[in-house]
Formats: sequence, structure tokens, C-alpha cells
Amino acid sequence: MSATMAEKKHAAYICSGCELGARLDVATLVKTATKEGKMQLVREHAFLCSAEGVAMIQNDIDNEGVTHAAICACSRRAKTEAFNFSTTAISRGNLREGVIWVRPDTEEARETTQEMAEDYVRMACAEVKAMTVPSGNPNVGGSKTLLVVGGGVSGMTSALEAAKAGYKVVLVEKTGALGGWAAQNYKRVPTREPFKDPEDTGVADMVSRIAADANITVYLNATVTKTAGAPGRFKADITVESGSTVTEDVGAIIQASGFTLYDANKLPHLGYGASPDVVDQAGLEALAKAANGGAIKRPSDGKEVKSVVFVQCAGQRDASGEHLEYCSGYCCNVSVKQAMYFKDANPDVDTVVLYTDLRLPGNGEDFYRSAQNKGVIFSKGVVSTVAASGNGLTVNFKDLILNEDTQAQADLVVLATGSVPTSGPDLDALNAAVVASESKDADIKAEADLQVEKLRAKSVLNLSYRQGPDIPHFKHGFNDSHFICFPYETRRTAIYAAGPVRRPMDMVQAREDATGAAMKAIQAVENAGLGKAAHPRAGDLSFPTARLEGCTQCKRCTVECPFGAIDEDEKRFPLFNESRCRRCGTCMGACPVRVISFENYSVNTVGAQVKAINVPDEFENKPRILILACENDAYPALDMAGMNRHDYSAFVRVIPVRCLGSVNTIWITDALNSGFDGIMLMGCKHGEQYQCHFVKGSELGRYRLSKVGDTLKGMGLEPERVFDTEVAITDIVTLPQRINDYAAQLEAMGPSPMKGF
Amino acid sequence: MSVNNTEMAVRYKNNFLKELEDQAEMGEWIKMCMQCGVCAGSCPTNFHPGWDHPPQEIFMMVRAGRREEVLTSNSMWMCTSCYNCYVRCPRKLPITHIMHGIANYAHRLGVAPKLQPTRNFGKIFWNNAAKTGRVNEVMLTVDLYFRNAEGKFDLMGGIKKALEMQSVAIGLVKAGRLNPLELFGGHKCKDQKGLQSMLKKARELEETRKALKAA
Amino acid sequence: MTSIVATNQTILVVGGGIAGMTAALEAAETGKQVVLVEKNPWLGGRTAQLYRYFPKMCHPTCGLEINLRRLKANPRIQVLTMAEVTGISGEAGNYSVNVTLSPRYVNNKCTACGECSKAVNSEIADAFNYNLGKVKAAYLPHDMAYPQRYVLDPSIIGTADAEAAKAACKVGAIDLDQQTETVSLNAGAIVWATGFQPYAAEKITPYRYGEFKNVITNVEFERLADPHGPTKGKILRPSDGKEAKNVAFIQCAGSRDENHLRHCSRFCCMASLKQTHYVQEAFGDEGKSTIYYIDIRAIDRFEDFYQKVKANPNVAFVKSKVARISEDKNGDPRLWGVNTEGYKRYSEPHDLVVLAVGMEPAVKGMAIPAALSEGIVADSSGFLAMNGNTGVFGAGCATNALDVNRAVQSATAAALRAIQVVNQVARAEN
Repeated sequence: MSATMAEKKHAAYICSGCELGARLDVATLVKTATKEGKMQLVREHAFLCSAEGVAMIQNDIDNEGVTHAAICACSRRAKTEAFNFSTTAISRGNLREGVIWVRPDTEEARETTQEMAEDYVRMACAEVKAMTVPSGNPNVGGSKTLLVVGGGVSGMTSALEAAKAGYKVVLVEKTGALGGWAAQNYKRVPTREPFKDPEDTGVADMVSRIAADANITVYLNATVTKTAGAPGRFKADITVESGSTVTEDVGAIIQASGFTLYDANKLPHLGYGASPDVVDQAGLEALAKAANGGAIKRPSDGKEVKSVVFVQCAGQRDASGEHLEYCSGYCCNVSVKQAMYFKDANPDVDTVVLYTDLRLPGNGEDFYRSAQNKGVIFSKGVVSTVAASGNGLTVNFKDLILNEDTQAQADLVVLATGSVPTSGPDLDALNAAVVASESKDADIKAEADLQVEKLRAKSVLNLSYRQGPDIPHFKHGFNDSHFICFPYETRRTAIYAAGPVRRPMDMVQAREDATGAAMKAIQAVENAGLGKAAHPRAGDLSFPTARLEGCTQCKRCTVECPFGAIDEDEKRFPLFNESRCRRCGTCMGACPVRVISFENYSVNTVGAQVKAINVPDEFENKPRILILACENDAYPALDMAGMNRHDYSAFVRVIPVRCLGSVNTIWITDALNSGFDGIMLMGCKHGEQYQCHFVKGSELGRYRLSKVGDTLKGMGLEPERVFDTEVAITDIVTLPQRINDYAAQLEAMGPSPMKGF
Repeated sequence: MSVNNTEMAVRYKNNFLKELEDQAEMGEWIKMCMQCGVCAGSCPTNFHPGWDHPPQEIFMMVRAGRREEVLTSNSMWMCTSCYNCYVRCPRKLPITHIMHGIANYAHRLGVAPKLQPTRNFGKIFWNNAAKTGRVNEVMLTVDLYFRNAEGKFDLMGGIKKALEMQSVAIGLVKAGRLNPLELFGGHKCKDQKGLQSMLKKARELEETRKALKAA
Repeated sequence: MTSIVATNQTILVVGGGIAGMTAALEAAETGKQVVLVEKNPWLGGRTAQLYRYFPKMCHPTCGLEINLRRLKANPRIQVLTMAEVTGISGEAGNYSVNVTLSPRYVNNKCTACGECSKAVNSEIADAFNYNLGKVKAAYLPHDMAYPQRYVLDPSIIGTADAEAAKAACKVGAIDLDQQTETVSLNAGAIVWATGFQPYAAEKITPYRYGEFKNVITNVEFERLADPHGPTKGKILRPSDGKEAKNVAFIQCAGSRDENHLRHCSRFCCMASLKQTHYVQEAFGDEGKSTIYYIDIRAIDRFEDFYQKVKANPNVAFVKSKVARISEDKNGDPRLWGVNTEGYKRYSEPHDLVVLAVGMEPAVKGMAIPAALSEGIVADSSGFLAMNGNTGVFGAGCATNALDVNRAVQSATAAALRAIQVVNQVARAEN
């Protein structure tokens, strides 16, 4: 026994309030905690969450030396603030929502309800004994400087807003000037009342504010050629045109690498390439800039444009898959603005916008009205072709209102082609190419090497992460978060996408988005400096540690980590970058030799609970079902089932897990070996529309656990004994039903043959 | 008073929208339509089979330059001035007035559908009422019923129509709304001379306004 | 007396919907002190009243659970519910704020055991379910209500019901003597995140909302589809409880209309597209939806979602602003109008009509304290915009018609703007 072990003092607190005392034999629970839970101190209280109850616990901590407390009362989701003792390891035995509220108050149910409660007391005691109060990740970095990659409106906004909050910023722009696409524009869509006329782009003002800001260092003609490290201690190599490289210490990164226009050359049927008088929106901005408020002249012969047709959704919203499937969102507003360039210079210019759905949300409606008022004509029509005819162009389209095929003549045609994100290579494609490049076939290898080189050249961040050089893509190549409630969550901690790289957006949105990204980056450096986790376990001080002497270098942890937190060291052992870690425990679940653990969540904290559950023998006719429930959705659903008094089987024992991805198969085999009749795995939806807060956690967990079939076979057990069920937080009514159905199924199957071994 | 149709078409180089903005009352509102169709649906004559184009479609045809089709359409003449479309329009277009404006312009160009019932009635009513300042119901009926499709006097047709409407006529007589003696000259308002000069002045003002707008 | 610890480095967040919660959490997780003020007895706002989100079809309560967990774990946020800001004075870095707290009649001893509710007989309209059902006058507003404490409706105070509730509470959590109180606190910066209200559908007279029972709004339809709603998730029409298998959605109910809301409310097209899924989910191929629209605004990546719905043979699209609704003898609402694509007149009966009502900023008509109105101006639709260098910042749907994702972005940005001010205060004080 080490000295530290001796200093531990375990206590259990059993509440008899909220009818617990009336429904349960609390004296027996006290005995269970003392004898079986081996708690050194056990107290019963009639109202544990009251000020007096809490003071009692605090007193034990302060004066009795209690270091570990099992609180057996209500759910961990209730009275959370009351039972928050930051220096003490706390487990919660859920006797209220998990026991008496899901059981009928009848004489015949009393025995099994009591057994349920006793097990939860045993589990709470076992869990807390296996826990340590987390002390925080010691491998913190001190840099609070932000790296912003991209000097367009998004990047400049992030830089200015972060600097205003007092943070230093390194701003890297690959071209020779700040401003990005916005600087190419003549004017921008109005951003404020009365939303009637195009306004100054504001770029010059931003550029001069950046120049004057001592907190911002700008690198022009520069790219990020290597990014190593972790939140709070990134090292970014910035290479400038001359080839020289500077290494900057930064704490967090904002990727504002912007977009390119969809290549109009892919739209020959719309006349692009065939006639110089067919331009894209950037082409029109250039013409408008050249005209500078005067008459806009067409490229072919410099003639003043007297008629112009705007073709919306050119190469966009294309269900065929040939062009962009998405809508770029901003182009309707831009065409309205550009039509105004013509009308404001000369009201007699014919300006027609051909659209299928005009998309001008919010105050865009005012801008639309203003354009109509200036005489811009809007026609709902689908353009089929644009062709040269005589001294101009013919736009052939179907007028959907007048229901006829018709045409319009124009001096100039503008194609609203939309945006493509500059989001770096698709990591899946890159990884596949890397694998192929290890081929022994020289031809395959040569081709793969070329592909690797090509994809690597697209990298924006050049992260030296094992998992690839950039943030993974979501749909259509955007780096957007998939979460509705948490738009900033990328899969690389402290690296935030901002602006049109995350989804198509206009300048107003880009500025808002970039300010939000700066907020998240600042938050990331502050928390990384304190050794705390980032969202969704913000503030969590636990972190994964590995007993490397037991590691077999199987690489499961490095491969599966959804956040790219784990690299490999020179000896090919996993190298944890704690501040990149989001504390989901997927690595722990993945590890076949169980060497990875958190101080307060480990193979042991859950395993000890499984072992603590009393499994009656086969003759008692009391099956046991283990439920491993995701704490984010399934566990709250079970809780709320309790709040609504929806009964479920008394034979289940629920253990919350951080994520299905953290479930180690040892828990399953241990449970089956000790005679459990069935195991329910409750995790979030996975796949394209995943709802897992750790992105890939539930998917990885499911895949891993789908392999337990062999184990079951080896033990001579039916495959149905492990049941994976997808649970949403709203399944409050259906979940108890599912549990009961499963219990009935197991009953029909008969007891597990493993009982009594 | 009337305007030369061909002359106007040439003058506006087929920019029909511009033409109506200049020439038709409230025509400058046409461009503000966003094709929601609530006017069409709100119109009480919506389900009348003889109605070619609802307002929003007329506006789209105007923008598409379908000049002859619009001007010769019966649609504007179908308006009953209930103002439903006007109050419902999300863009606050004075649709009732626009329809009347286009109708009036078509009339001035002389391309409005001949003997379109609403238009025909409107003309007869105006000519009748403007004469004395009071409507002569008997003469109104005669003018309305005793003319054939070509506008020629038609005794037999008139008698047939009059017999059909017999019960209505008797009701009007009983209510004192129709005096058969008005066949020989009816009642009039007091200041006949004043009335005529007032109408003349109104016409002049209208012409000046239109000329100003077109300039 | 409620006590609040606040200084000139504290950020006050007004409104506890998803925008306000986000602003509060982002600031607090960056180490700032926050006071969060919410007028309802619970946090979460209108997103908590949604069944699913577009385009993922996931559940808003899933994110709410995470946000509540963040909140419970963060001692830097002080939450005041049933509270409204009634006065602000001062300037950036030095505001003095009055907050008026309405009595809940339940103190923080409450364990949410529900005994008081059992003891009470009176029922009140269920505000959480947009008054589509009733709840006991001692109630927990919804399953995820935070603070997890019951509320006594003021209507029973002074009655035997209130005494019965008090008697039933074993932990002494019911305090019938609670009074309205006003507390003062300091703040360096203020985030104004008061959200929106659904446009009052009865103002759109031709749609006869409030008169025809089977004409409801999109926010009400969310409650019908929710398993925890008044119909337990069954899509039953209000007049006769018949399954509503043929549902019409009327877009721009109030929005893009100068007689009602000038602006486009942005979210309603996607909301209706999403709600066609509810019909499909409930009735399979027997469930038919028709969307009457002007323009389908499935902006940017939402286009995928629109294309999928469009490909569903059980969903029809009619380009038309519906002119009026009448009611057939069997209670079917009948829609009248013209499909403007080729001028096709229609007169279609449906089982149920859902009005896709737009967003009206909740600040509209609200008495904005003077110090606030100097720093923040409302546009012609009543949304807030910043005007100059002050310490008050709009967030979420108080600033624009936004979907949830954009509202959260806006709130995250607002948190930084507030931090810029309090950091300046901190630098000055150090």
C-alpha cells in the first residue's frame, strides 16, 4: 500500500427523500454500502440535496478526510450544482430516476426494486473507488497568439476582432495583398438600413486598420508550410515568396482560406468561352470597377452595354451531379447588386434576372424591392442555352410563369456560378492514395505518388498530424460543422473554419462567422493554457494516459481518434497530444490491451461497476441485463422516462458511458462471463446524418462491438445476447418499451448458460 | 383623345413595360410585382371561365413585351373594382387601378376588344350620364339591349332581350328607379353648362398629366 | 432577496434561448463572469419547443442537454429565470441594470418530485405546447426544464390549491409569500438575445386562423409531431381528432408581405420542408403534403434537403401565395388560389393547413431601455443593429431572421464583442 492509497477515504451518502425512504429499505442500502461497497463512512440523510445535506458532505470532506464520495440519491443530471465538490471524486447512484420512478409502487415489485437499488449502491461505490480527481493536462502550452490563414474579409475580421479583445494575431495571406474576393468587387451588397443601394466594400478601411494594429502581424505572399504541435503550443512554419521560413508559436488557428468561383468553362452551353461577352460574377465586378460608376462596356468590342441578362444558378443546384449540387446562397443578392450597377449608371439599360427561386433572405427582400423599383426585371425561367447571334447574345429559356419557351437578346450575359471552398485536400482520398503509394506495383505506386503530391499541394494548413494535413471535409468539400447547435465544432481541436470555406456565404455572414471563430479560438487558447478540454466536455480536466509498457503498437487508438489527437512517436508508440483530445474515450474503447484510461473514467471505473452487480443464479428466474448508455442522449432519455414514470424491467442495470465509442469489449465479455443474460448498447445515430457529439464515436463503437459475435459464438451464446440499439434523446416513451421487449426476448431464450461459472 | 397604336409601339421600341409606365395610370407599379399570384386567387371573378389572364400574369406578359396580347385582352375589363387584390398584395401594388389604367390605355389606342360587355356598358353608361349629369335608365337600357354584336340597331334582338329582363324592369318601375317617360327626355342636374365645362376641364387636366408623364 | 454577484467585468446576457445560452456559455467558458436573464421559468427558448431540426432531422433537446450540462458545470454563470430587464443606465464598461423577478412560489429546495402537482386540481393552458393542451397549475414546464424546479401559476395563489401544494411539499420548497422583486446589478457589457415571436397568424385574415380549427401554425405543428406534445406525436387535426394525412403548408404566412412583415424570415421554407417529413413519418405513402410557395429558399447546403423532398412523390409544390381559405362541411379547410406557373386555378381541400408563419423580433414593441436604444437601432422590421461603439450587442434572432445554426454563430460573435469590452475594463483596472 502506497501512502497515497492510505490517504484515500471513501464515503457513501444515501438519500431517503423524494419517497426513496418509503419505497426502499434504506437501512439495507446503508449496510450494502458498508459491507459490500466497503465504504469507510456511510451516512443516510432525509434530504441530501438541501443546504444541510450538502453541508454535511462538505464537513466530511473538510474534517473527516473524505476523498471519494458515492452519492446515492437522484440522477447525476439532477442537483448537479448541489453535489459539486471539486476536490472530491464523486459518483452518483441513481436511485430516483433510475429505480423508484421506473418501477411500480406495488408489493410484488418491492423485492426486485430493492435489488435494483442495492445494485446501484454497489455500482456507485465500486465506481468511485476506481476514480481519481483529475488534475488537469500537464502538457499545456502558453501561446495565446492566434494564427489566421487567409487575408480575405473573413480572415481580416477574425484578426481585427481578436486583436480588439487583446490577443496577438499572425495573419497569413497567400497573395500579395489583403482583401481577397471582396477587394475585387466594385461595391458590396448593403449591410444596413435601408438596404436599397450597393455600398462601399469596406476593404480599404479594414486593411488600414490591420496595418495600424500592433497586435497583428501580416505575412503576404506567404503560405503555412507546416503546422505541428497542439492547442496552446502550435508551431507554424510560414514560408514567404523568397523561400525563407519563419516559425511562429501560436495557440489556435482560424482557417479562413475562402473560396474560388465555380469554373464557368464547365458551362459551354451557357456561352462561356465561346463569347467574351459571357462573364461570371467576378468578370462583371471587373467590368464595373473599370467603369467606376460610368457606363459598363462589354469585353468584345467595348460597346456600352444596353441590355444584360443574369443567369442564376449557373452550374449550381444541379441534381444531375455534373455541376455543383448546392446553392451558393449569396449569388441572388450579388446579381441584384450587379443589375443595379447598370441601372444606377443608366436607367435605360435592360436588365433581366432569370431565376428559378430568388433567394434573398431577411432584409434581402428590401434590396429586391429596390432593384425592381430601379427597373430590374425578374423572370422565373430556366435557361437552356446562351448563343452568339448577330452583334449580341441570345439567351434561350423557358418562362415558367408564361409557360413558354422564349428568348432574350443581350449585349452581355452574367453567369452566377457560385463558390467552391478552398478547403484543402479530401483526407479520405489522400489517405487512400498514401496507402496505394506503398504498393509494390511500380505503375500503381507512380500514379499514387503523383496523386499524393497533387493532393498535398492543395493543403492549407500542412498539419503534421498522423491523420492528415488539414481539417476533414464534410459534404461537398466544405469544412462546416455538422452540428446545428454547435456550428464551430471541427474535428481538429482549436482549429476553426471561418467564412465561405465552411459553407457558401455572403460578406455579412462571413464577418459574423469570422468573429465567432475568433471567439472560439480565444476560448481554445485560454482553456488549453489551463489544461482543460474543449467542447463538448468543456472544462473537463481529465485526459487520457497510456501504460506504454503494455502497448502492442496496434495503432487502433491513433486510427480511431475522431479528433486526430494521437500521433506516433519515433518508436511507433502512440503519442497523445492531450490538448487536442476531446475526452470521448474512443481510444480507450479501441485499445485491445486496455492500457488507455482517464483518471475519472477508465476500463476499471466501468468494469468495477459491471463486477459489482449481483447476478442471481439461473434458478432464481431473475435475469440481468446490462445497459451501456451514452450519457449525452440515451441516459437523459432514460432519466426522462423515469420523470414521466414510464416503467421498465427491474432486471436492467444502466451504466452511463461518455460515448459508445469508449465502450471496450472487455466490459461485454466480463458481463457475459459473469452470467448477464443480455447487454443493450445505447448510442447515438451514426452515418451521414450522425448525431454523435464525438462525430465518429458511435460509429466506431458500433463497428467494434459488431465483432463480438465471434466472442459470443466462442462462449456458446446466442448473438441476440448483445443488442445494439440507436437511441435519440426524445425516445422517452419508446425506450422503456424497447427495454421490456428485449427483456421478454431474453426470457424466452432462457437464462445465460454462463451463470454460475 | 385617342392615341395612335402603331406610333406608340414604335416610340417605345417594344419596351412595353416602359410604355405602360408612361402611358397607363399606375403603370409604374407593374415592375414591383413578385409573381406570388395572390391577386389572381383573391379575385372574385377568379373562377369565371371567360377571363384570359389574371393580373399577375398580365404583369409578366407586360414585362415579356407581349403588347398586342395584353392590350386586346378582355382581362382588364373583367375587374369589378372590389379591391381584394389591392388590399392583399404583399407588395402593395394598386392592382385595381393598374388594371383600369391598362384598360383605359387600350381603349385610347382603340385596340380594346369590341363590344366587350364591361367596356361596352362602361361606354354607354358614361355617354348617358355625361350628357345631363343624371343617368337615364330607359335610354341606357335601349342603348344596351337594342344593339347587335356589330353595334348596329337591332329591334328584334332588343325586344327579345327586353322580354327576358321584364321582371327586373317591373321591379325597377315599382321601386321608382325606372320611369318609362324618360324615353322622352329624363331628369338632369341643375347646372348643365357648369357640368360640361367641369368635364372639359377634367379632360384637359388628364391630358396634361399624361403628356407630362410621357415627357 | 435574490443576491447577484456582478461587477463591471460581468457580461449580462438578456434572453435564455439558444442564442443567449450560447453567448453566456462561450463567454463563461473563456473565463468571464456572466449573468443570464430569462423571462420564462426555464431556459432553452423556442428551439426547445421544436421536435426536430432541419436538415439533420435531429432533436434540439440533444443540443440543449449538452448546453445545460455545460451550464451546470460552470459556476461562472448565474441564471435568473422569470426575470426581465426593466432598466439600464450607464455606458460601455459601466452599466447599471435593473432586473425584475416574478415570483415562482417555489424556492431552490425543490427536488422536482412532483408531489405539489398531484395535490393541485386547477389546470392552466400549457404554454410550452403553445396552449394546445393543459397542465396542472403547479407544473414543471417540460421534461428538460432548467432550473429543474416546479412553478406555481399565479392564478392559484390565495386559493386552496396553493395551500394544498404547499402541504404536499415535504421539503418546504413552496413559498407562497414570494413577491415580485427588482434587483440591481452591474455589468460591463450586455448581450441582447431576446429572440423572436412567431407572427400573429390571426392578422392574416383570409386564412381564418383562430376561426377554423384545422388551420394551425408551423410552431404548433412542431408540438403535434413531438411525442411529448399534446397528441403524443400523433398528427391529429384539432377539430375532430382525425388523422391529418393531407396537409397543406402555406409559405410566407406574414413574411415578405408589406401588410405584415417586410422581411423574409428565412427559416420557414426549410421548416415546412422538414415538416413534410413528419407527415411522411406518420403515415407513409398515405401522407400527402402540398407546399404553396413563392420562392423555395433552401439556401446554400440546404439545397440537398430540398432536392430530396422534391423527389418524394408524396410532396407537391405549387407556386402560389394562397389567396384564402374556406371550410368544407366536414371541417376540411379548402385553399383557393392560382398556381402562377402557367395560370392554373385551384380549390383544394386538405385535412389540415399549416401556416408557415415568419419571425417577428421580440424586441418589436418591447420598451427598450434608453441606454440600449442609443447603442442599438432597430431596422424597419424591428431587428436590432449595432450603431457605434457601445457595450450592448444584439445576438441571434433579435438581430435578424436566422436559423438555429446562424443564430448560434451570431451569439458566439456577440460573446466576443462583449468580451472585448470587459477585457478593456480589466486592462484599465489592472
